[in-house]
Amino acid sequence: MTGPRDRPAAAYLADPDTLLVLRPNPLEGRDDELFLALDAKGNVTAFNGHVDLGTGIRTALAQIVAEELDVPFDRVRMVLGSTSATPDQGATIASETIQISAKPLRAAAATARVHLLQLAATRFALKAEDLVIEEGVVRAGDTETNRLVSFGHLIAGAHTRLFINPHAPQKHASQYRIVGRPQPRTDIPAKATGTFTYVHDVRLPEMLHGRVVRPPYAGFDSGSHVGASLISVDENSVANVPGLVAVVAVGDFVGVVASREEQAVEAMQRLEVRWRAAPDMPDLNAPQAALRGNPSTARKLADRGDVERALGATAEPMQRTYVWPYQMHGSIGPSCAVADWRHDGLTVWSGTQNPFPMRADLAQLLDMPEDRIVVERLEAAGCYGRNCADDVTADAALLSRAVGRPVRVQLTREQEHAWEPKGAAQVIDVRGGLDEEGGPAAYDFETRYPSNLAPTLPLILTGKVSPVAEVALMGDRTAVPPYAFGNLRVTVHDMPTLARASWFRGVSALPNSFAHESFIDELATAAKVDPVEYRLRYLTDPRAIDLVRAVAERAKWKPHTKPGTHGRAGDILYGRGFAYAVYVHGPFPGKAAAWAAWVADVAVNKVTGEIAVTKVICGQDTGAVINPDGVRHQIHGNVIQSTSRVLKEEVNFSSTAVASLEWGAYPIIGFPEVPDIDVLMIPRPDEPPLGAGESASVPSAAAIANAVFDATGMRFRELPLTPECVRAALNPLPASSPSNGNRRTARAKRSRLRFAWPLAGAFSGAIALGAGIFPFNAAIAPVARPLSDVFSPATIERGRLAAAAGACNVCHVGVTGTPFAGGRALETPFGIVYATNITPDEAAGIGTWSYPAFARAMRQGVARDGHHLYPAHPYTSFAKASEADLQALYAYLMAQPAVTAKVPQTQLRFPFGVRPLMAGWNALFLSSPPAPSDSARSAAWNRGAELVEGLGHCSACHSPRNVIGGEIKGAMHLAGGVADGWHAHSLTAKSFAPVAWSEKAFYDYLRTGHSAQHGAAAGPMAHVVDSLAPLPDADIRALAVYLASFNVGGETFAASGSIQSVIDAANLAAPKAAAAFPRGARMFAGACETCHSEASSITSLALNTNLHADAPDNLLHAILEGVSAPAASPLRTDATDFGVMAMPAFGGALDDADLVDLVNYLRARFAPDRPDWQAVPDSLAAVRSTHH
Amino acid sequence: MAALIALSVNGMDVQVSVAPSTPLLHVLRNDLGLNGPKYGCGLAECGACAVLVGDTAVRSCTVPVGAVTGRSITTLEGLGKPEHLHPVQAAFVANNAAQCGYCINGMIIATVALLRSNPKPDETAIRTALRHHLCRCGTYLEILAAVREAALAPSDVAVAEAEETAS
Repeated sequence: MTGPRDRPAAAYLADPDTLLVLRPNPLEGRDDELFLALDAKGNVTAFNGHVDLGTGIRTALAQIVAEELDVPFDRVRMVLGSTSATPDQGATIASETIQISAKPLRAAAATARVHLLQLAATRFALKAEDLVIEEGVVRAGDTETNRLVSFGHLIAGAHTRLFINPHAPQKHASQYRIVGRPQPRTDIPAKATGTFTYVHDVRLPEMLHGRVVRPPYAGFDSGSHVGASLISVDENSVANVPGLVAVVAVGDFVGVVASREEQAVEAMQRLEVRWRAAPDMPDLNAPQAALRGNPSTARKLADRGDVERALGATAEPMQRTYVWPYQMHGSIGPSCAVADWRHDGLTVWSGTQNPFPMRADLAQLLDMPEDRIVVERLEAAGCYGRNCADDVTADAALLSRAVGRPVRVQLTREQEHAWEPKGAAQVIDVRGGLDEEGGPAAYDFETRYPSNLAPTLPLILTGKVSPVAEVALMGDRTAVPPYAFGNLRVTVHDMPTLARASWFRGVSALPNSFAHESFIDELATAAKVDPVEYRLRYLTDPRAIDLVRAVAERAKWKPHTKPGTHGRAGDILYGRGFAYAVYVHGPFPGKAAAWAAWVADVAVNKVTGEIAVTKVICGQDTGAVINPDGVRHQIHGNVIQSTSRVLKEEVNFSSTAVASLEWGAYPIIGFPEVPDIDVLMIPRPDEPPLGAGESASVPSAAAIANAVFDATGMRFRELPLTPECVRAALNPLPASSPSNGNRRTARAKRSRLRFAWPLAGAFSGAIALGAGIFPFNAAIAPVARPLSDVFSPATIERGRLAAAAGACNVCHVGVTGTPFAGGRALETPFGIVYATNITPDEAAGIGTWSYPAFARAMRQGVARDGHHLYPAHPYTSFAKASEADLQALYAYLMAQPAVTAKVPQTQLRFPFGVRPLMAGWNALFLSSPPAPSDSARSAAWNRGAELVEGLGHCSACHSPRNVIGGEIKGAMHLAGGVADGWHAHSLTAKSFAPVAWSEKAFYDYLRTGHSAQHGAAAGPMAHVVDSLAPLPDADIRALAVYLASFNVGGETFAASGSIQSVIDAANLAAPKAAAAFPRGARMFAGACETCHSEASSITSLALNTNLHADAPDNLLHAILEGVSAPAASPLRTDATDFGVMAMPAFGGALDDADLVDLVNYLRARFAPDRPDWQAVPDSLAAVRSTHH
Repeated sequence: MAALIALSVNGMDVQVSVAPSTPLLHVLRNDLGLNGPKYGCGLAECGACAVLVGDTAVRSCTVPVGAVTGRSITTLEGLGKPEHLHPVQAAFVANNAAQCGYCINGMIIATVALLRSNPKPDETAIRTALRHHLCRCGTYLEILAAVREAALAPSDVAVAEAEETAS
């Protein structure tokens, strides 16, 4: 397979039996452009330079061709946007495909039809007007003669080329049989069965997988630092990633290539890249100041009457500012492309909107002539404007060139969110007021829109295009209001981008219309006139007037002059709003696409501030409709997507970069919130067809805001209409919630305070004690490595179980997973301790250790050469292990493969770096009483005691330590400690667990990694559970029996139904938690609730000890690092899916400020009787610093 | 480190040699050539990658392949073919329930899982079951219509049994 390629135009031009319709190429020296090819079998291939962005344009274009040619719909095949096959019709933007780029195609079909009719007339010796065409067959009008000939027969035997005749007669709408009727989309059966080939599905022989590593200035593409921030790339950091093929760096472009996709992902994650710090950017979370401060050029679009004088004469001038936030296109599929670079040319498979401009970009990027580049355009996830489709195509080309093989690149969710050119923020000022008759005295409109065409990112990263923010004149879309204001001034302040931004559905027309249609609503209210009536007084366009009347009638609009006419029920206030707009696109004055009007019904909860858009009546005048189903579908999509934008959507920024990197931080509308939609299509079969892809979005914001005004009496002029902003306006709370703080300053300072034990004063004591004890031990002579056959298989097997019980590999596993190879960095209160190599290598491991040396190390913490080991090695516990177990463990380790790699030397901070001090430490804390035994207790209890206190060394992590690191005994034994930066919670009744641990819970947890009453093991404990897997059930049971004995009374507590009460308390707390931490609540809904919902089989977070603990560290660890799938299936019988679940790591996806909000919400929701965590940012900084 | 992993996918027993921690999604797509499940977020948020494990919809982007050994996995391809659609697929086609269609895999998989556990879901049950499947094109109404239609049709299990009886 060579990847899906469209047959090139040249092949059609070489066909013997064919009828081709072409257009002379306007560019000199270029081939004529092919629009239509008919073959001798009656098949029709039609070519259009635009592409299908998921809107069904492929189906509608085929309808046009089939109609004009009079062939069955299914005989027409569309070829879209391939540079080797289709005409260059520019970018697929501004809803222009049907309105503009379909025109030559229709003319080509009409040209072919006339020609075929003439051929048939000649063949029948009749006049063309006496013939009719039906279903691709030409028939003499007189049916009795029964003279028929198919298109195929007419075409056979000749190669005919025609040029498009723009005057060839085209059908009148009354003759249409295919256009104007619902036509099922041709692509959906394949899409519904997984047989459709998206660009994401292209696979070539020898294809490799690439990923990119983007710079830290995420989402910004201008400024002198852009393209010039890379300091170094450490290829060694990925040297041991399996399958790695290449690391590529050009300017600030960095990418990796590997054999397999997951290998490329691993390399991307592990590649250590040093960048210069990204510079601070203006605050774009509250964009008004940044936009006003952005240098701009005023461009006057309209100036009539005398605005200033009229404003001066108004009794109550109205000055309003409307603020639109940065928003995302938010393609569901991150952009993807495949590139195949050869010395003689390049082919890319791309989801671009712009195949021909894309080809020009690639030519510039690679210094390759355009005629050696083919862009095959395949469908991708819907883009609604400029997303990263072009960027990733260029990424793939660069990586393919570097390795000389085909490379597929897909961006991560985080990269797509960060780097897609945003829909720009906008600030609009309107000044106006009423004249003496209640009419609009004047209308002074100024708009600011910092957006441009967003050059393809790798061009900028590699320095091919300079990182200067260009100015594009796109702020003028629908900037001129549709009303006959006598005194009117419209100014657009053209300005460069701030964040990377480009066109997004509705472009500037959507925010501009938000202002127009909100302001006229205010004028109507001030004039005490019904808002629809008021609009009709000043609309002049007859089709606009027809539409507004039709939509009002359809909605049964009740004229009203003040808000509050739709009633209330308890805390719910109802309202209805109107808005109208025509989407004007293209360079000013632009062209109008379809007209659209909305009536929106809302329900506003005045306590919570939540807005539900319950119904939208949307009318549209699209001119002639090609596929009514397609237009209806576009209207639905526009209404739903724009409702989402108005209610929910806003990109957040840190001080240097885009911070909304996944769907929790950037929530979009979901099924529960989708309104009912009633679509009204104005029949205009005799008018030209108009673009339908964006128009129905344009009235959205004003219609909803006007409805909220109707419900509440409050005007909202800033989006999105989140619950907290509505609630704050309706019902201000006395204190601001923590999440309302400025997120730019909410970034935590990196600090390690959480783990700073009270060391002061302790050193001197330790040193003094150390001084009194001879701190040096004699070395034990090295021995030759024991041969493995010295030990019996039974002994080695017992050693294997001892290693399992001791969980040796949890710490001593090699960094690449080799058992016992050591090298892992362990976070301890004293600093980083590196686990040693305990394989039998003579140089790097313990191969020269005799058993007495091994036993001394295990029991006394002294290495063979006499140096002291740090108590990260839990020799105080191992001292209690049986001699037989230690001997077996020695045998087992000596039977392992030797690993020659040496591990880094541990270097602790003073005084712990002074190893002899450990002698003093040992004198203090190394007591080696045997493990407890009690003949009055069961055998299981006694066995459990031996395991827990000895080899299992549970207390090493689960007991608190004193200021110099000694385990605290007595009542605090097993009462909670730390492990590798995690809190090792208490195993006793002192636990924070909301439901006490029972024997069964301990057993389930240790055996399966999961307890239905407590949740899953995570972090180091998950590794311990894995390690325990070889132990027989009886030993796990023994562990559980012994540990449960520290939780007396627990079982009755757990069995008393308190599990449900804990869950109920969390559910009850949900609204309050959401009110306190609204952003955290949204993060939870978008990022967590998929799995952590009541419908899921996962144990409720309300039962998870980590939510109830004194500090959020474990929760943060789990969110940042993820939780691997449990070792075995769950025991819950009502759920079968838990065993295959794993929690992904969110560390790279969640911004610190979002994380803090999320964690605060989780605490308030799931541990409602516990106090809020203090200093979460500090904890977060500490946990972040422990991993990368 | 790569290991030989045995899987049951769409009724076929297959073996792949990959690291057990590899996301199931990558194995289905790249080793088995199944394009139904799509990478959408890698964080189990959007649902584009959903597959059935048994009768349950799971997010293959976060499921390690080593965790599904021995379980029965069904992808969009395993439900039906264009010429022989599964009842849920047929309902989606009949209702034009896709725009770009990138999310349709998860929507159909979630619907199949819903109808197997609740053959006659009401509107709330449908919207709740699908709530964590995201569609940016705003095709939600067509999808809801498709799910309602599928819920009226005989269940896939009943259809399969009838076909078995007939043959």
